[in-house]
Amino acid sequence: MHHALWQSVLGEIELSVSHATFTTWFKNTELVDQNESGVVIAVPNIFAKKQFEIKFNDQIKGVLAKNGITPKQITYTIITNGKKTRVNRETTPTGEQQTADELLGTPTKNMYTQNAPLTQAGGLNPRYTFDNFIVGSSNDLAYTASQAVAANPGVKYNPLYLYGGVGLGKTHLMQAIGNEITKTQPGARVVYISSETFVNEFLDHIRFKKKGFSDKYRNVDVLIVDDMQFIAGKEKTQEEFFHTFNHLHQNNKQIIISSDKPPKSIPTLTERLRSRFEMGMTIDVQMPDFETRCAILKAKASLSGIELGQETVEYLANNIKTNVRELEGALNQLLAYAEMRGISPDISTAEGLLGNVRHSRPQHITSKQIIERTAKHFQLQVDEVCGSKRDKYIVVPRQIAMYLLRSELHLSFPKIAGELGRKDHTTAIHSVEKIEKAIKLDFLIREQVASIREKLYA
Amino acid sequence: MELTVTQENLARALTAVGRVASTKTQLPILSNILLRTDKNRLLIAATNLEIATTQYIGAKVVKPGAITIPARLVSEFISNLPNGQVDLKVTNDNLHIKSGNYSSIINGVIADDFPELPTINESSSIRYSVKTEDFKQAVSQTIITASNDSTRPVLTGVYWHSHEGQLVLAATDGYRLSERQLVATTSEVSAIIPTQTLQEVMRTITDDGEEVDILFDETQVRFRINEAEIISRLIDGNFPDYRQLIPKKSDTTVTIAKPEFVRIVKIAGLFARESGGSINLTADEDNKNLSIHSIASELGENTSEATVKVKGSGQITLNSRYLTEALSVIEGDEIEFSFSGKISPCIIKSTDKNTNYYHIIMPLRS
Repeated sequence: MHHALWQSVLGEIELSVSHATFTTWFKNTELVDQNESGVVIAVPNIFAKKQFEIKFNDQIKGVLAKNGITPKQITYTIITNGKKTRVNRETTPTGEQQTADELLGTPTKNMYTQNAPLTQAGGLNPRYTFDNFIVGSSNDLAYTASQAVAANPGVKYNPLYLYGGVGLGKTHLMQAIGNEITKTQPGARVVYISSETFVNEFLDHIRFKKKGFSDKYRNVDVLIVDDMQFIAGKEKTQEEFFHTFNHLHQNNKQIIISSDKPPKSIPTLTERLRSRFEMGMTIDVQMPDFETRCAILKAKASLSGIELGQETVEYLANNIKTNVRELEGALNQLLAYAEMRGISPDISTAEGLLGNVRHSRPQHITSKQIIERTAKHFQLQVDEVCGSKRDKYIVVPRQIAMYLLRSELHLSFPKIAGELGRKDHTTAIHSVEKIEKAIKLDFLIREQVASIREKLYA
Repeated sequence: MELTVTQENLARALTAVGRVASTKTQLPILSNILLRTDKNRLLIAATNLEIATTQYIGAKVVKPGAITIPARLVSEFISNLPNGQVDLKVTNDNLHIKSGNYSSIINGVIADDFPELPTINESSSIRYSVKTEDFKQAVSQTIITASNDSTRPVLTGVYWHSHEGQLVLAATDGYRLSERQLVATTSEVSAIIPTQTLQEVMRTITDDGEEVDILFDETQVRFRINEAEIISRLIDGNFPDYRQLIPKKSDTTVTIAKPEFVRIVKIAGLFARESGGSINLTADEDNKNLSIHSIASELGENTSEATVKVKGSGQITLNSRYLTEALSVIEGDEIEFSFSGKISPCIIKSTDKNTNYYHIIMPLRS
């Protein structure tokens, strides 16, 4: 009740003041009480309190009047973390009792372990927001589309399909959409699940004849499904999901899906689901470029309250290119190490540490990279390589891609066939054998394979 | 606004206030300084919405008024002027500055956009007056053990509170802790002051022999030194009950001259850079001896010894940096250093009973 009123007040004020002013002063304010004697507005600190009392009081009075409320007086009270602060507490503070070990942990303890993520209803983690998502050229399309969806769920881009490699921020974006919607439309029912959860719940539903399964997902306003690829090959679940999808889409409910591949490349996805996934917006989330990686490192370091030197940031960003999760891992390792040893996390420390990060693990490549590299080498589109055409200029690159998947990643033949959108694994066996033989005989093929391999590990 | 001030006063006030004006903020006006006439004085203020600092300087006011101007430019310009009179005049949101042969016009922003400076209700607040020497010493003794880990905000400040009739300052970063009694008190206080605020107050104190006037409100604190005023928010939350960590008794107590202790710790520290500052202290009661050992696997090793008074033999491993920092803020010529085995915290204080200060360090696992 109070909340809705305050929302409309804020909405009106936002139009009349500058964006900076609004975010500085009006964020984290709340109407906490309203009765005959007046209204009470909670503000975050003394500065805001003074500012409201002197500068914004008349404006707020005016807007409240428009909403049919003419309070005798408006009082502002400072509330932080949802509770009032007091000065005259008991001399020894109670509450938050800490044991000696927790408080004065021995210096070998890693101080950077963060609190376990707080989950709230709907499976959303409030820590993922648009504010702390770092945008660069590799992900700005995905970011913009996600914001558009969060602003107008169910209207634009339905479904929104995000795909890309591990640790590039798909989950972060999807969670941010969910969190944003729950914030702006508190009544909205937002459900976030992984496709695996969906599968498991569906199986329980069949096995134990549990009721309410279809209702659970059909009565939501926003359905977010992470890692859709796991639904591949599960016919009955796909059918159930198909109906859920149709139901939601028809009622203009927003659906957001993520996967590691575009719908076309998930081999055992039924045709009707595939075409549905493709009818909204399909966006690739790519590996962040150098500048974005630097920005991510700086943001993460300052979250831990540490200022990293430009040199150190560039060194880390230069050496870890594969994914953001790994980047964060290296940063955490650096900070923990520096804290443990009581030294500053500078470039020499980073070099000492990353030295072993780099040498101890093999170059990390993915099947997607192999296919892309191969296609690029022969100046083909990935779609063509994975497509169904059998012209010679496509067939050979396709076979080389299969060969590389086998030789570099040791994938199984059915997996290889799946990666290239083939159903039959014997095609893969044949291709790999053919290229193996050709490498021994054909100079041209040998050179091409070597060149692609070199670029893969460059 | 039209007035005349001296360059010396204006330059000093602008530098002091300018430190608080920040460029890293959403609200562009926060990188400006507010100039406002206040009867026969000029008020100069800046805020970053955590701290607000204000300086008053004497002025010959011709026409009252107010303006805000970019902090950096104006303080650099004024501090480069020669000593003497400076004329300030505002026309159309621009500040005209004239001094001898130098004149400039700085584009300003109207003062109405500047955030209101918080005020404190003097009658309902708790007041302390502290000698600047005592204040400086007490703050520098405790601030070094405050944490800079922003994930635990309550530890990023110094905890000012009343305990058994004394106003006590305490700070800890989880690895070490310091506590200092400042003055006697009859009121009850419990407030965590951000380290940045205290550093700002320390910088503002110029000469000894003054008094710092401290005023605590429910959510804010105000420091006043002569014509300067700093108002800051307090850190919200409960400071951990650190008293339960103070060792009640110790198995080993070493009494040692401070200069000698400082020297052997420093020397041992040279060989401990590789091992994260880890130095090993051994007290031997029979030989009346304290020896410090440190090893750098690639460089070599070191053993330094001192003849001391020892009660009960024992061993402990500490971070040499923490120990050096502790010794640098403890007064007196003689140190009492006590501990109980390798896992309990050690306690360091002066043998002089009048110092009211102690420092606790957690040992390193060895």
